[in-house]
Amino acid sequence: MSIEKLQPFLAPSYENFPKGRTIGVVVLRTTQSETIFRTEGTGEPMCSEYVQAGVQNTESISRLVMTKRKQVAPERRKGREFLRSHELLYTAPKSDSICALNTNAPCEMCIDCFLYGFAAGGEGAQKSRVWTEDAFSVLPSTELIGDRTINAIFETGTMRDEKGNASTALNTSEYIKPGVHFLDIVTLKDVTADELRYALGNILLTSRYGAVSSRVGRMENQILGIFGGIAELPSSLELVQGVYDKLAADGKALEHPFKTEPLIAAAKSVIATWTNKRGISMQLSADELDALIADVDRNWSLNEQETFLKRLDRSYASLRKVKSEGKKKGRDQQQEE
Amino acid sequence: MPQLELLLAESDSKLPFQTARLVELWCAEPVFFASRELSDTYYTEGTIGNYALAYALGWARSPYRLTGQDTGRPRYLEDLTPLAEQCYILPAWHIEGNASFRFERFNALSDSYWYAMTNNRVATAREDLPLKRTGKKPNTFRPSNFPQTGRLRMIERGNRFQTLVFGDREVPEYIRVGKFTSKVRVDLLRKLTITPLPQGEYRCNAYLSAADIPSSLELLAFDLISMPPVSLLKNLRFRGAAWQVGDFILPANLKFCGGRNNE
Ligand SMILES: [Zn+2]
Repeated sequence: MSIEKLQPFLAPSYENFPKGRTIGVVVLRTTQSETIFRTEGTGEPMCSEYVQAGVQNTESISRLVMTKRKQVAPERRKGREFLRSHELLYTAPKSDSICALNTNAPCEMCIDCFLYGFAAGGEGAQKSRVWTEDAFSVLPSTELIGDRTINAIFETGTMRDEKGNASTALNTSEYIKPGVHFLDIVTLKDVTADELRYALGNILLTSRYGAVSSRVGRMENQILGIFGGIAELPSSLELVQGVYDKLAADGKALEHPFKTEPLIAAAKSVIATWTNKRGISMQLSADELDALIADVDRNWSLNEQETFLKRLDRSYASLRKVKSEGKKKGRDQQQEE
Repeated sequence: MPQLELLLAESDSKLPFQTARLVELWCAEPVFFASRELSDTYYTEGTIGNYALAYALGWARSPYRLTGQDTGRPRYLEDLTPLAEQCYILPAWHIEGNASFRFERFNALSDSYWYAMTNNRVATAREDLPLKRTGKKPNTFRPSNFPQTGRLRMIERGNRFQTLVFGDREVPEYIRVGKFTSKVRVDLLRKLTITPLPQGEYRCNAYLSAADIPSSLELLAFDLISMPPVSLLKNLRFRGAAWQVGDFILPANLKFCGGRNNE
């Protein structure tokens, strides 16, 4: 029932104008297998950036980056899998086909379209109310990258084919090691309680990120803190910097593999100080956070999933009555302002 | 001399703002605006426009969902001109004079198991493939009117910009700007007083939005940064009334859209 505690920062129903209600979610993303994040295609190095190590420690280090677009796409896809299976994706007005991501033909009516937005397709455009941020590795990238030589072996089991020609498919490729921690902040703006459950469910249920492949990119997401307020939390870069300072001050050796428990403890102690910052009104306590995650799990459970998704889907029903009532709706919105 | 004093006193009383604040914007993330398009590359200029900043600061609320006319038409006049007497912000300039950029490839993928890259489009209707092979152009294979692949030139993380905020509205600690709602930290550096300067010839050392300059101002020379929605001027020499704000000299009476209402 801890969702009650967030009530002042949740919308009672979808509203078209921003009202400053902000939910901040601190997420720890841990790789469970080899993972690949690149900004430029195949063969390019892993996505990393030189940034200041800590807030106090001003030395520059290279950190791995999981860009915001690399996070949100798989998480949306995860939610859409369930929408598709419960037939909650609508037919796009423009193409006469079922709502699909990135195809210039959003349905404009499904939960995903309402919450994560779509660019001008048919009738209009919807801004996303889920704001992601580039996530950073806590440790320097030099610790976290492995190199693999890929040699394509012929059916003979050797590097030479029957005619004795050497395999040319010899390549080295970089990957991010398993057990790498990324810290991240997700901001939800003016969402309803069920939209919050939906977005959190997508984060918790998504387990594959990065380059498209069935064998790599396993990742586990854990929610370390949830804030309700009228302003945004500090950036994820400042979060990893704060955690780096904290770990260094505790005398921890910053080398891979790094245990998750001390990392979580450090991250939680850093975010605990955020409640005093301007405009940030409250953080859920550990028990409240557990209760909220249990609430999300319950709503996504096999028994309740359909009820939950259909209830959320129905919440947009009045907004789907379009065109003929368009003018009247416009007036209502002005009154609401 | 008494006459000049009278003039000064008069323009003083007309000052819409008593103070301004010099603020610094720190890019916690790469920032992208589609300022220019060259082939499949989308360029961000090394500045942040003041209309984007006004929305980002929460001075105007644009709706989450745009419908009908609003999708193809900006609402700057309705949203920003009513702010004229309350607040104003200049376009932000890079503190070292030149922003650094990075390039990134983008590639939109579909959520279907089968897809094909066609003319600037991700096709997902596998059943259309045989039709396409016969030379027909099924709907799902036609070019898209928005880019699904290409390169982005973005302002790199860590760049610092400065700008002046007029009026005394509270400024949030973090704002979101650009097409990917990138996080930017706002630090208040110092409070500055505004002193009106008499008619004369001046050189402006800040960035200005071309649409916000009073129509009576005589522009002598400037560099133009051409970008939507409003081109920016830098190194402006002008003749007219001016404001001295700390070390900055600006044309007097800057207002969003020059204060025009619904023309
Ligand atoms: Zn949809």
